[in-house]
Amino acid sequence: MSSDSTLFSNRWLPVLLVAPMMLLIALFFYVPIFQAFYWSFFLERPFGGGSEFVGLDNFARVLADPEFWKAGWRTIIFMVTASSLAVLVPLILAVAADRKIRLSLPARNVLVWPKGVAGASIGVVFAFIFNPFVGILAPLNSIFPGIWAPGINGTDAFITLIAAHVWGGIPFNFVILLAGLQSIPRTMHQAAAMDGAGPWRRIFDVQLPLIMPQLFLTLVLEFTESVTSAFALIDTITNGGPGGATTLLVYKIYMDGFSGYDLSGASTQTAILMVFVIILTAAQFIFLGRRVNYER
Amino acid sequence: MVENARSLNIIASLILVVGMIYILGPLYLTLSTASQSYEFMLRNGLAWYPGDQFLANMASIFTETRIPIQMLNSMVVAFSNAAATCVLSFLSAYAIVYFRIRWAGVVFALILATIMLPLDIRVITTYQVASNIFSPLNAVLDATGLNGLIAGIFGTPVQLELSVLNTHFGLVAPLVAHGTGTFLFRQFFLTLPKDLFKAARMDGAGPTRFLFDILLPLSRTSFAALFVLTFLSGWTQYLWPLVGASTPDMQTAVVGLARLVPDSDGQVPDFPMIMAGAVIVSIIPLAMIALLQRYLVQGLVLSEK
Repeated sequence: MSSDSTLFSNRWLPVLLVAPMMLLIALFFYVPIFQAFYWSFFLERPFGGGSEFVGLDNFARVLADPEFWKAGWRTIIFMVTASSLAVLVPLILAVAADRKIRLSLPARNVLVWPKGVAGASIGVVFAFIFNPFVGILAPLNSIFPGIWAPGINGTDAFITLIAAHVWGGIPFNFVILLAGLQSIPRTMHQAAAMDGAGPWRRIFDVQLPLIMPQLFLTLVLEFTESVTSAFALIDTITNGGPGGATTLLVYKIYMDGFSGYDLSGASTQTAILMVFVIILTAAQFIFLGRRVNYER
Repeated sequence: MVENARSLNIIASLILVVGMIYILGPLYLTLSTASQSYEFMLRNGLAWYPGDQFLANMASIFTETRIPIQMLNSMVVAFSNAAATCVLSFLSAYAIVYFRIRWAGVVFALILATIMLPLDIRVITTYQVASNIFSPLNAVLDATGLNGLIAGIFGTPVQLELSVLNTHFGLVAPLVAHGTGTFLFRQFFLTLPKDLFKAARMDGAGPTRFLFDILLPLSRTSFAALFVLTFLSGWTQYLWPLVGASTPDMQTAVVGLARLVPDSDGQVPDFPMIMAGAVIVSIIPLAMIALLQRYLVQGLVLSEK
């Protein structure tokens, strides 16, 4: 037996072990990504009717389309509002649940429930609850006609989407932020209290700075999440309406590709969206990540 | 807390109450509406209190819709997603951590990158790959000129075709191609003491024996956490099962539920029945959360670190 035994040194066994996972990832992750970029340079006919190299024509066509810019702009608005709320609300709840109060235990239990409800299911439920005729705001509508009209008013539809998105985002962000808060040593609180910091002050000067890594992580993941997972909500609550007011990019890509059979256009928009997400993640790591102190 | 902070505790309690109402409110309204009749809903709108039509609405879901068979599909998809993710992630993390291989870092980076671009973004081209999983192979053969060679010898080029659309495998495989599990197991392996491995080697344990007799029993909690997490994620998928299955009998229950809402405007849909569907579709994952909450929380925290 060799004296160095820190690792196994088989040659082919590890290859066999990673092969199934890598095969699936290559086939269903890297090939589709490559294909999206590849197709964005070709004019692809649906149902395998052949393709023709068109250079940057697809990009020119997509970028000249005002609908693309509108959908992109809506994606950014949704991303900023929905994801900051989807972090802020669980943050407030986590700070509250971190205190030793009687409600803290039941709250910790209940607040992870949405994890078991699919985005589309809660979309169906919210579409009913916020229905202008039979929903929760219907009485308001009978007093002030037309004050709540998600079927006509784009802002109302957008608000419904965000309420549903935040609802579904609570479990993960709450659990992560609460875990961060609970890993803060009690001595930190005691030391701060000795120095005369009141409980409010300690929230902002002890707790928040110390859970920056968790806060940063939830924000990064939430940004990606809000760009993509909005699909299930849009498809069940608003169908992209009214008048396209809630057609985010991920929904437009789906409609262009599966309803309009515009594979090249959909691939080109997919490629642009992927580059956007990658740049966004990288930028967050560079600009925000550097300022996060991981030391305890 | 350190000092007596009554006012702060009262505010915290209020916040938690509001938070719980926000979570439970929609669930309660779903349940109470599901127990009312269509006529009641038309007259009074949303039901604030439960009625007696719950079983009738349930019955119409079971007899008039495809939800029962779609529940079976959801079960198959969620279970195989969880099982396959657990096994494949465990094996790949094992290879990355415990073998002296030079490409371990590269492979891990390639696996981890999958977290950045979710399936919903790349759905268009994933659909194309699933419609013929040999298309990449065909493309490689064409591009390298090998196919020309084969055509010269055998008279015809190789063009393999196999669609996994509308199959359970096709619904599951793209979900498994995700790095969270490998990441979770790798983190767990790295927390194990190095001496464990050395002692096992000293006693003459080879890779297989170490895997089955030492690593596997130690990883039980990680398995449970990852299983719960991936089961829930498989059950709640929407966009991929929506495009990956073309017949109602292959669709998952969540897609079936969304299809219950008629597209046309005008008439008020039969919300009590739809809400009964929402209850049925969500009952299994919610029961799972109630029973296995410890593992779910653990999985969420582990997948972060």
